[in-house]
Amino acid sequence: MGKVVGIDLGTTNSLVAYVRDGEPRVIRDSAGDALVPSVVSVGDEGTIFVGREAQRRLLTAPSRTVYSVKRFMGRGIDDVQDEAALLPFTVGGDPGGVVRIGLGEREFSPPEISAFVLRELKQRAEEHFREQGEFDFEVDRAVITVPAYFNDAQRTATRDAGRLAGLEVLRIISEPTAASLAYGLDKKNRGTIAVYDLGGGTFDISILKVEDGVFQALATSGDTHLGGDDIDRLLVELVLDDVGATHASPRRPELVQTIRKAVIQAKWDLSDHQQAEIRVEPLADLPNGYRRAITRAEFEALIRPLVDRTLGPVRQALSDAGLEPGEIDEVVLVGGATRTPLVRRLVGELFGKTPHSDLNPDEVVALGAAVQADILVSGRREMLLLDVTPLSLGIETIGGVVSKIIMRNSTIPASGREMYTTSVDNQTAVDIHVAQGERELVADCRSLARFKLRGIPPMPAGLPRVEVRFQIDANGILSVGARELRTGVEQAIEVKPSYGLTDQEVERMLIESFEHAQADFDARLLIEARNEAETVINATEKSLRRPDFAGVTGGELSADELTQIERALADLKRVMAGSEREVIHEKTHALNHATRHLAEVMMNRSVREALAGRNVKDV
Amino acid sequence: MTPDLIPVSPVSTLECRSCGAGAPVDEHFCPQCSRILALGRHGDYFTFFGLPRKLTIAQDELERRFRELSRKFHPDYYYNATPAERLASLERSSYLNDAYRALRVPATRIEHLLAIEGLPSTKSEGTESGAAKVPPALLEEVFELNEELDEIREQRESGADPAALTARLVAARAPIDRKREEHERQIEELSAQWDSRLENASPAERRATLEALRETLLERNYINNLLATIDSVERGL
Repeated sequence: MGKVVGIDLGTTNSLVAYVRDGEPRVIRDSAGDALVPSVVSVGDEGTIFVGREAQRRLLTAPSRTVYSVKRFMGRGIDDVQDEAALLPFTVGGDPGGVVRIGLGEREFSPPEISAFVLRELKQRAEEHFREQGEFDFEVDRAVITVPAYFNDAQRTATRDAGRLAGLEVLRIISEPTAASLAYGLDKKNRGTIAVYDLGGGTFDISILKVEDGVFQALATSGDTHLGGDDIDRLLVELVLDDVGATHASPRRPELVQTIRKAVIQAKWDLSDHQQAEIRVEPLADLPNGYRRAITRAEFEALIRPLVDRTLGPVRQALSDAGLEPGEIDEVVLVGGATRTPLVRRLVGELFGKTPHSDLNPDEVVALGAAVQADILVSGRREMLLLDVTPLSLGIETIGGVVSKIIMRNSTIPASGREMYTTSVDNQTAVDIHVAQGERELVADCRSLARFKLRGIPPMPAGLPRVEVRFQIDANGILSVGARELRTGVEQAIEVKPSYGLTDQEVERMLIESFEHAQADFDARLLIEARNEAETVINATEKSLRRPDFAGVTGGELSADELTQIERALADLKRVMAGSEREVIHEKTHALNHATRHLAEVMMNRSVREALAGRNVKDV
Repeated sequence: MTPDLIPVSPVSTLECRSCGAGAPVDEHFCPQCSRILALGRHGDYFTFFGLPRKLTIAQDELERRFRELSRKFHPDYYYNATPAERLASLERSSYLNDAYRALRVPATRIEHLLAIEGLPSTKSEGTESGAAKVPPALLEEVFELNEELDEIREQRESGADPAALTARLVAARAPIDRKREEHERQIEELSAQWDSRLENASPAERRATLEALRETLLERNYINNLLATIDSVERGL
């Protein structure tokens, strides 16, 4: 048996965590970074880039680079047409079917894209365990989190992604409840918690009650299409409008991505400062570049409508839980977008208390997922998470009306049953259409699956009594079984997911991913070479940039050595962008070599500083 | 499609799928091998919770039992178990959650009691379909209310002062609200009566209580629908 991890598969960033000695911890790379950008890019030779490397390619190869794919999980092309128009990559697919994303010559379904991110996390974790000297470092099982408000199709798509990445998905749990588990570790053991989770692309609110170590979700609500991405998009639109006045150029992907990067920086700056500048460097479409000052007040006025949209679901969840805002004991903030001061202020005002933020809002979900994974495999029982299904489940009846079988906010696992009969003599099959949602008409709900109930024994109309059982498991995923009660015959059910992949499709993708394994492996080596190069470049530049550089080296470094370092540095920077791994390696070595003396000098200097003013006895 | 009317099949014993021993239908775990048992179809939420068939249930006691049973059945704790146990855990947890949802709220608790005592569901006379018969006890109120609502709608069409119409609506609502309170009180009284008759009363007396409960519940459901209608007219003003 291999290792088990918890994964937060986010819209913008993803993370992996695990439990050691009863403590959850996130896994970081050598630079101490836990976040893997949920970005995937396809190189000219078909190689796959994931994470930071792919993120860099957002600027250089935007049409071959996909981000925020979580927004497309379990959805159809008809759902996403509007936002697809703003994206630099092609989003296609047949009407009524799964979204397909075109990157260069290849086409992927959203679970395949997510699988690349998951595989990256799996490898990161395996590397970590190997470095820890673990003999058994393979990661083969995971708990993966999803927004609480994800429907069956979105959860299933996430599970498919795990499978495609070579992971057994032990459990899909919702992000807010995972966060509450992470917080629950050292919090008092009873009370009501509201988890406000505003991530890159999704908003969730969950109300939980904690008692005797049982974390019971009472209600959940949200918006699977509301998050930090939308804030970025508003800012991008603002800039595009500004420059559009003078430049009638079409929206080139490079332009949009460069602006996006600039506005994100400004957004971050505005979390700490009252004023910031959006600064876009000149590029082909924008020869003069772009600069614009923006105050926090302007920014807040711009995004206020977005933040206000979160308040509706919050009130809904409170009302479903039968609680007033004042009855909530603890408020927990999750997701990077909750760093926005406006969000903190409005949430604080709504509940009348200061929200918690002791744990890093980017990491808390992965930590909770790791705790849940540990509960599943270790048999520890001090905590139990009881989640709810976010949406009612129903079936289509006469006139396109939905008959609800399992109500929203039912604790899962949950089950329901419905009786069917035939309308024609000797009818042996019945069509069933399952939908999820709160609306009365099936057209307004989310179609989950259509299937045919076959093998009903031939009988006069109305006589067969077919009982269809709907089972929502602890993952929030539906399965269906049926039996004719008079004869006891089990019915065959073929479920065709409306917006999901069939088992055959998943199988085919698994095979394809093996075929691409070599290309992916090469890509990985290239990425590692680049990362190593970047580390050396950063370290060198850091030393050279010190204002007291001359003082630090104390003249011990010759002008010649300095020239050599600068040349090696420039060389390496030049080859970094290319894809020749060997060359990058070579130039990294060269820079390493050139800086050896510099490193020694710096080292001696810091030792001297550390020892200064102390005598030999102290040492 | 027909409404859900599954006959409660009278299974008196369960067979443990782990060791093959027989077990009483209300047991959760096999007395022989102590493994979790597959669910029998007895359909009684009270027994499942280890509670008497009474309508008065202390909320915190119900919650405590719910947590306790969740900790015994939840699939989280059967990850390493045999497929039979995992299935049993899934079924038993689902059933527990359904049972908890039904018993937590007095209205659904009474519904469940009526069902296991063999009375027809109050839902089957579906007020949802809008075709419910007016309960005889409410004929007078319903007649007056409908007349008043018709008039208010008419006046609204002809552009009358909304404030005045709202005042009329509030007045029309008052007797219905009173009826509702009256019914809530009656339901409480009948519930208490059922609890006291559970041990020392004849089957006929117990049956009479249940019939009365059912009637009152039907009327109360009807009243709730009337109030919903008034609300929607009010929104239209």
